[in-house]
Amino acid sequence: MTGTRKLQPLIYFEEIVHLGNLALRFMLYVWSLEAGEWVPTLVILRLNRAALCVQWSPKENKFAVGSGAKTVCICYYEQENNWWVSKLIRKRHESSVTSVAWHPNNILLATTSTDGKCRVFSTFIKGVDTKDSKAASPAETKFGEQILQLDLSYSWAFGVKWSPTGNTLAYVGHSSMIYFVDDVGPSPLAQSVAFRDLPLRDVLFISEKMVIGVGYDSNPMVFASDDTGIWSFIRYIGEKKAASSNSSYSSQFSEAFGKFYGSQSKSATANDASESRGGVHDNCINSIVSLSKAGSPKVMRFSTSGLDGKIAIWDLENMEQELGNQV
Amino acid sequence: MAGASQIVEADIAEAIIATIETKSQKIESLLKHYKHIEALKTALDDSPPKTLDERCKSANWIVVHKVIMAIRDIDGMLNALGAEYYDILMKYLYRGLSTGDEPTCDQCLMIHEKLTERAGLGCILRCLSDTTNTV
Repeated sequence: MTGTRKLQPLIYFEEIVHLGNLALRFMLYVWSLEAGEWVPTLVILRLNRAALCVQWSPKENKFAVGSGAKTVCICYYEQENNWWVSKLIRKRHESSVTSVAWHPNNILLATTSTDGKCRVFSTFIKGVDTKDSKAASPAETKFGEQILQLDLSYSWAFGVKWSPTGNTLAYVGHSSMIYFVDDVGPSPLAQSVAFRDLPLRDVLFISEKMVIGVGYDSNPMVFASDDTGIWSFIRYIGEKKAASSNSSYSSQFSEAFGKFYGSQSKSATANDASESRGGVHDNCINSIVSLSKAGSPKVMRFSTSGLDGKIAIWDLENMEQELGNQV
Repeated sequence: MAGASQIVEADIAEAIIATIETKSQKIESLLKHYKHIEALKTALDDSPPKTLDERCKSANWIVVHKVIMAIRDIDGMLNALGAEYYDILMKYLYRGLSTGDEPTCDQCLMIHEKLTERAGLGCILRCLSDTTNTV
């Protein structure tokens, strides 16, 4: 079944299914729905290390795989031979590629790596991308050419995403920082936002000016850019955080701090007003995926999955008021 | 090229140590006048994390250490210290804790507790994960 096969690009499924196979055997399967059944097709990635992340391109004619072999594989479907071909971006990355994100123009790809840098590459492939090349100016550049490198982080970088129009890039660092880059191009505007709590692992743009970050705090964080373009942390989704510093740690932390400070701390360690974190996830949230139609400017529903084995679906319909109508 | 950059480093290092000397005298006088907060800010300003030279880092550490040991009112100090100093102060606290010297550790631990309350765990993370800008 060649040209008639309709490919269902459910990224969500792709990640779960692929990663299971990838880590063990460095292979990847593209699953397609044929007559009500899911059928896998093996794709040879030519990797000698585990693949860490995979994303379909906006037009769903290519997908990118970031790996521990410091390379990114871009795979596209070759009609004549009825198989998926992989092209590798071998240069530039000095360490594992932790996350990849496609720009809406289907050609630019942003990657983050444990070398702390975020890079943007062109994945222009003759025969796959030619028709729409008038769209964006850098579209004609060579495959694998690095357009931009961002050195904002001093520690591992994760979770990169483009905003709906592709104008802004956001990614997180392991040092409890989130980086926003506006006007990605020859003269980008970068902002580093440091926040109070544990680092993030993944981000999602829910509109051009609002980003949700998820990570080790088990509670999604909302960041927004104001009228002047300055990004900042707004609030947690879920329970409101108490303003007073005493109650901001769960009982687990209080115990640990008690041991650490021991006889030093004269004030009673905050056992009195310790709020349990409660919330939906009990452990680190690893990824956040949009459930709204791909390419829509506003995301109203998304899902998160974490190390606690839970997958949660969040609905922002009722939260517009609370998010200050900025969405 | 490594040789050349080492020589350049040494020159800059000398210059930095000289700056630290001047800073140190200024801080002595500030401490005498009980202007602890000023002293701390001066000590933390221009901390030389980008140089790899151990002598510069040690020289600045000695200065910061002096001020840290002189602080009595931790809450007041943290109130007056701006948020931009939290990250760098945390780095020096960890350096203090690593010395193993009892009075230093006691003092650093007390300040660490209060600083964490204010700045959050993110501050600690930034300190631990940043291996390029060390103090």
